[in-house]
Amino acid sequence: MSKGIAATLVRPALGSAALMAGAALALDLSAFAQQQPPAWAQGRPQSMADSKLAPHPPRMTVTAPDKIPLDKLKVPQGFKVELWAHGMPGARMMVRGDKGTVFVGTRTINRVYAVSDKGGERTHKILIQGPTQPNGLAFRNGSLYVAAIHQVLRFDAIEDKLDSPPQPVDMTAAFQLPTEAHHGWKFLAFGPDGKLYVPIGAPCNICEASANHAQIRRYNPDGSGMEIVARGVRNSVGFDFHPETRELWFTDNGRDWQDENGPEEELNRVGQPGENFGFPYCHAMGIPDQDLKKANPCEGTTKPVVTLGPHAAALGMRFYTGQMFPAEYRGRIFVARRGSWNRTQKAGYDVLTVKVSADGKEAKIEPFLTGFLDEGANAFWGRPVDVMQMPDGALLVSDEENGAIYRISHSR
Amino acid sequence: MHRGVRGPAAVFAALALFCAANAEAAGDVERGRAKAAQVCASCHGADGNSTMDNIPSLAGQPETFTTLQLILFRERIRLVDAMLEVSRPLTDGDVADLAVYYARLPPKPGPGARDAAKADHGAALAERLRCATCHERNYAGRDQMPRLAGQREDYLLHSMKQYRDNQRTGTDTTMQGVLYGLSDADLAAMAHYLAQLR
Repeated sequence: MSKGIAATLVRPALGSAALMAGAALALDLSAFAQQQPPAWAQGRPQSMADSKLAPHPPRMTVTAPDKIPLDKLKVPQGFKVELWAHGMPGARMMVRGDKGTVFVGTRTINRVYAVSDKGGERTHKILIQGPTQPNGLAFRNGSLYVAAIHQVLRFDAIEDKLDSPPQPVDMTAAFQLPTEAHHGWKFLAFGPDGKLYVPIGAPCNICEASANHAQIRRYNPDGSGMEIVARGVRNSVGFDFHPETRELWFTDNGRDWQDENGPEEELNRVGQPGENFGFPYCHAMGIPDQDLKKANPCEGTTKPVVTLGPHAAALGMRFYTGQMFPAEYRGRIFVARRGSWNRTQKAGYDVLTVKVSADGKEAKIEPFLTGFLDEGANAFWGRPVDVMQMPDGALLVSDEENGAIYRISHSR
Repeated sequence: MHRGVRGPAAVFAALALFCAANAEAAGDVERGRAKAAQVCASCHGADGNSTMDNIPSLAGQPETFTTLQLILFRERIRLVDAMLEVSRPLTDGDVADLAVYYARLPPKPGPGARDAAKADHGAALAERLRCATCHERNYAGRDQMPRLAGQREDYLLHSMKQYRDNQRTGTDTTMQGVLYGLSDADLAAMAHYLAQLR
C-alpha cells in the first residue's frame, strides 16, 4: 500500500509491535501485507470522523402483506405494480427455472427460497438453509447453481425435487474462489457463450486488491477454464448480456467515505476481455481515489457508460427484451438500487431504466419504480435488490427489506 | 470455520415457512420477563447481568441487536452450542418480547480492577478504529450494534477474536473487516477498556 495511505489514515503506531500485521491468518493475505485501517473504516477523512453513518440492519422476520404499503409505490402511466410473493425475509437475487420455479437467494439469513406460481397465488418454501450468504443463483439444464461466498453448489433436476432437494454437487474445489466474506457475496449468470460468470469483490472499502480480487471471472460450468474478463471492479452484484452485441454489462458499487456525493455507482460495458475499470485508483467518470494515489490514475482504465447515483447501491440489472412493455422499453436496462447507507441524505431505493444510444455514447436514466424512499423524512421502508423479466414480459422486483417480490405489468 | 451445506441431513427439505401471525407485533415486556425467567435467566442472570464465565450480559442491549442475534441463533446462522436448543422453539413474537425486555434492564458492570495502561491502550485503539461511530460515544450501542460498555471482559475478548478469525458472523461483514489483522494483545486491551466503562 502506498505511503499516501499511511500518512492520511493510520495514526502513528503506538510503539507496540502488536500493531504490525503480525496475526497470520489462513486467508488470502496478499492485500493486507502491511497494517491497514479496518476494511469498513478505511479511507474516512478526519472531517467525517464523527459521522454516525453505518450499514442498516437487515430485517430477518417475516413482514405480513398488510404491512407492505403498496399504495406508496409509483410506476409510469400505464403500468401496474402488485404484490406477487411475500413472506421471504432477505429475498434478493432471482432466477427462473425452465419449469417456472422462481429461486430467490439471500445474504444474512443463509437461505434459498423456491417460489411456485399456482396461477392466482404464489407459494414458497425454504429450499436450502445453511450455506453462507447464498446470493448468487443461476439455472442451466435443469440444475440450480448456488454461489455462497466461495462455495459453488449445483442441485441437479431441482424442479422435480423441490420437496426433497438432492445433495448438491460441490464444485467449490474446482472454482477456487477466495474465501473473504466482505464483498464476497456473489451474483451469478450464464453468458450467451455458455460460461458461468462470477464476480469477486475487493475485501475492503479501498485497498490494492490482490490478483484474485476486484474482478469478474468466467468459467466452464464445471469450474474449469477460468478467465478474468474484467478487472478493477470493486464490488459488482449484478450484470447481464446485451441482447444484440452479447457484451457483458455490469453494475459496480463505489467506495465509501470519500465524499457525500460520490464516487457514484457505475454501469459498465466490457468491450475487451480483461479490461480495467479503475478500482482502486480511478472511480466513476475519472475521479482519482483520495487515499491511494498514483500518477495518471485513470490511464488504461475504462470509464462507465453512465453513473448511477451516489452510494445508491446499484445491484441487479437486466436488459428488457419482452413484448408486454411499450416498444420504447425494449433494449433498456432495468437497474435495482438497494439504497445508500454512506450518505446523510439517502439515495437510491428504487428501480431505474437506462436507455443507451446505439453508439454507446449517451445514456438516459429514468425512474421506473419509486416510493420506497420518503425523501422529506429521509427514511425508507423497502429496498429493491434485483429485477427479472418473466416470459410474459412482466418485471419482477425483489424487496429485501420486506421479503417480498413485486410484479410490474403493463396493459395497453 | 466455513459453514457449508449442513451435516449428513444437510439440506432442509420442504420446510414450510410459517407466517407468524404476530410477526409484526411490538414486543411485550411482561411476556419477555416471563420467557426470560423460564429460558434465559439461569445463564444470563436473573437481572440480565451475567456472573458466569464467557456468558454475556444482556441487560441494556439494543432491541434490534437482541432481536437479530436470537434469529441468527434460531436459524443456525450463528452456531453456539449452548444456544442451539433454547433458541429453536422461539417464535418471532418470543424474540420481540425478549428483545424489549432486555433492552429495559439496567446494566451492571462486573467487578474487576482497572489496569490504567491496558485501558488507555484499548481506548486509543477504539478511537483509531472509530468504534464509537457505530457503538456510540458511551458505547451503549444502538440498532444492530451492541452495547459494549460494562460487558463481561472475557466475553468481549472472545467475541472479538471470533470476528477477527472469521468464526462468527454478524448481520453483515462489518466486524470481520474492522478487526482483521489485530493482535490478541490489541483485542485484550480493547476488551479491558470497554468492560471497565461505567
